[in-house]
Amino acid sequence: MIALARRLGRRRAADATKEAYFTASQGQLIWQRFRANRTARAAFYVLFFFIFCGVFAPFLSPYNPTSAGRNADYTNGAPQIPQFCDDSGCSWRPFVHGTERYRGADTNFRWVTRQTEERSYLTFLPRGSEYRLLGVIPMDRHLFGVEEGFIHVFGTDAQGKDIFSRTLHAIGVSLAVGSAGVLISFVLALIIGGVAGYFGGWVDTVLQALMDTVKTVPTIPLFMAVAAFIPDTWSAEQRFFFISLVLGLLGWGTLARRIRTHVLAERSADYVLAARMSGASAGHVIRRHLLPSFTSYIIVDLVISFPYMVLAETALSFIGLGLNDPVNSLGVMLQNVTRVEVMLNYHWYFIPVPIFVAIVLAFVLVGDGLRDAADPYSEKR
Amino acid sequence: MAAFARFIAYRFAAAMATMLLVSLIVFTLMELVPGNCAERYIAYKATQGFVVTDADIRAEEVRMGLDRPYLVRWVDWISGVFFRFELGESCLWRVDVSQLIGDKLLISLALAGGALILTYLVSVPVGVASAALRGGWFDGSLRILSYLGLALPNFLLALAIMLLSTIWFGDTMTGLFSEEFRNAPWSWARFVDFLSNAWLAIAILGWSAMAIQIQTVRALMSDEQDKLYVTAARARGLSGWRLLMRYPARHALGPVVNSVGFDLNRIFNDLPIVAAVLILTEAGSLLLEALARSNDQQLAGAIILTMTMTIVILNFLTDILLAVIDPRVRKGFFA
Repeated sequence: MIALARRLGRRRAADATKEAYFTASQGQLIWQRFRANRTARAAFYVLFFFIFCGVFAPFLSPYNPTSAGRNADYTNGAPQIPQFCDDSGCSWRPFVHGTERYRGADTNFRWVTRQTEERSYLTFLPRGSEYRLLGVIPMDRHLFGVEEGFIHVFGTDAQGKDIFSRTLHAIGVSLAVGSAGVLISFVLALIIGGVAGYFGGWVDTVLQALMDTVKTVPTIPLFMAVAAFIPDTWSAEQRFFFISLVLGLLGWGTLARRIRTHVLAERSADYVLAARMSGASAGHVIRRHLLPSFTSYIIVDLVISFPYMVLAETALSFIGLGLNDPVNSLGVMLQNVTRVEVMLNYHWYFIPVPIFVAIVLAFVLVGDGLRDAADPYSEKR
Repeated sequence: MAAFARFIAYRFAAAMATMLLVSLIVFTLMELVPGNCAERYIAYKATQGFVVTDADIRAEEVRMGLDRPYLVRWVDWISGVFFRFELGESCLWRVDVSQLIGDKLLISLALAGGALILTYLVSVPVGVASAALRGGWFDGSLRILSYLGLALPNFLLALAIMLLSTIWFGDTMTGLFSEEFRNAPWSWARFVDFLSNAWLAIAILGWSAMAIQIQTVRALMSDEQDKLYVTAARARGLSGWRLLMRYPARHALGPVVNSVGFDLNRIFNDLPIVAAVLILTEAGSLLLEALARSNDQQLAGAIILTMTMTIVILNFLTDILLAVIDPRVRKGFFA
C-alpha cells in the first residue's frame, strides 16, 4: 500500500517535472539550460561582478579618476597593499605607510618618493570627492580610503592618478561604449536585415551584397581612418559619442545577415501562415509570432558582438584615436606603456590588462553559453 | 570546361562588383570627413609660413578638380586605380600615392602573408589532432587557448611579450631590420635579417586567427569523423593520421579554404596596431601615419582600398582553388 502510494507520488512528481518542462516559456528553458553549463554560469557571475564594478565605480573607487583626483606627491608610485603588521608590531586594523617627497645628499639631491614609518589606517565610507551615483544621486562617500594621505591599491601613473580608480571607471566607460555601439548596430541590423528578409527578391540581393562588402573591408583601419578626422576641438564626451557611432555604423554586417536569415526562414513557417489564416493583422503576426521566435537569438548575437566593440574601442584609444582624458578606458590607460622606462620600472601600469582580458573572456563565455542554451537541439547531443 | 570558364567569369564579375562597392564606401567616408584635400594642403602651407587666403584655397580646389561633382571624382579615382594603377595623389606630399606606399606595402603584405601561412600551418594539424583527441587534456587546453585568442587581442599579447622580454632579456624585441640593413637595398642578406626580426611580429599577427581557426578545424573534423564513411574506412583497416587525412580532413577542407580571406581580414585588422606596439616602422609608419597622424584622406583611402583589394583577390582565388581541388565541385564543371 505504502509502496503503491510512493510509486504514485513518484509518478506525479515526474509528471510535474514534465509538465513544468512542457509549459515552460522559452526564456525559462534557456535559463535552465544555461544554468546547467558550469563554465558559462561562473562567467556570468564574473561578468555581473564587473558590470557592478563599472556601474558603481564612483562609489567603489577612493578617488576621482581624472587629474582632479591626482596625488601629486606620489607619481609613478608602486601599489600600496594594506597590511596588518610592520616593524613596529601588528594592529587589527589594516594600514598603509605614508609617503613623503625627500631630497638629500644620500639621493644625490634628486627628488625621490619614499615611505615613512607613519601608519595611515584604512577607513570605510569616508567623505571624499563629490560625484553623482548612476548619474543622479549626489554623494561624497566612497567605499574605502585612509585616514591621512592617499591609498593606491594599484599604484599611480605619471601624473599621480590612482590606477585603481581609473580601472574601475574604465570598466564603466568600456561597457558604455560597447552598449552604445551594440545598440546602434542592432537598430541598423534590425532594419536592414529585416527589410532584406521580408521583401526578398532583388532588394535582398542588393542588401546582401552590401552586407558582404561591409564585411570584406578590414574594420580597424577603417575606424582609424574615420576617427583620425575628429577635430581636436571636440570635447571628450563628443568623442565618446562619435566613437560609439562609428563602431555601431560599421559593425552591423554580421548581425544583419543573421536577422535576415531568421526573418526569411520564419516568414513562410506554418505557424505564421496559420496566424495569418486566422485573420491576424501583419502587426500582430510580427509582434506576437515573428519577434518572439528569434528574440533569444538576437540577444545571444548581441552578447557575442559586445566584446568585439569593446576591443575595437580599446585598440582605437590605445593608438590615440579613440577616447582621451578625462574620459578613460583601457586603451587610454595603456597609451604610454610602450615606453621602455615604463616596461622596465612601472609594471603596475599593466594591472588593468588581465582585468580586461577577464571581462572579455567572461563576455565570450557567457555568449557561448547563451548560444548553446538558446539552441533547442543542444540537449540531444 | 565552358561551365568552368563561366564560373570564373561570374566570380570575377562578383569580385569586381565588390571592389566597386568598397571603393564607393571608402570614397564616401573620405568625402564625409570635414575639410578637403585642398584645405588640408593649404593649412599645411600656412604652418610653413606662407600667407594664404580663401582665394588660394578655391584656386587649389579647382586645380585638384575638387569643384567637380562627387560621383565624377569617384569615377575618375576608381578608373585610375583599375586601368592606370594610379592610386591618386597624396594630399600632403604631392606625389603619387603608389610611390609613397610601394616598398612599405610590400612589407605589410609580406607580414600579413607570413602570418596567414603560419596560421594554417599550425591550425590545420593542431585542429585535426584536437578533434581526434576530443575530450582529453590536449583538447581542453586548446579550447582555453582559443578563448584567449578572442579575449587577448594581438596588440595586448604584443605588449605582454614586450613586457616579459624587457624584464628577462632587457630587449624589447621590436623593429623589423637591424641597424645596418635599415636603409639598404633589398638583398638576400637583408631578407634574412628581415626574417630574423620579423618572426615575432608574424607570430603575434597570426595569434588570434590561429587560435580561432584551430577551433574551426576542430569543429569541422569532429562533425565529420563520426560519419559512417569514416567507420567504413576504419573497418577496412585504416587508422591514425592516414585515415584522418584521407577521409574526414578532405571533407572539412572546403570551409577552411573558404575562410582564408576572412582570416586575412582579421590579420589586416590587427596589423596597424601591432605595428604601432612593436614599432615596425617600415610597415606601421605608413599605415598609422597616413591613417592617423597626417590626416591625408587620399592616402588613407588608397591604403584601405589596397587592403580590401588583397582580400577580395584572395577570396576570388580561393573560390577558384576550391572548385579545382574539391572533386564534388570539379565534377560539375569537367564531367
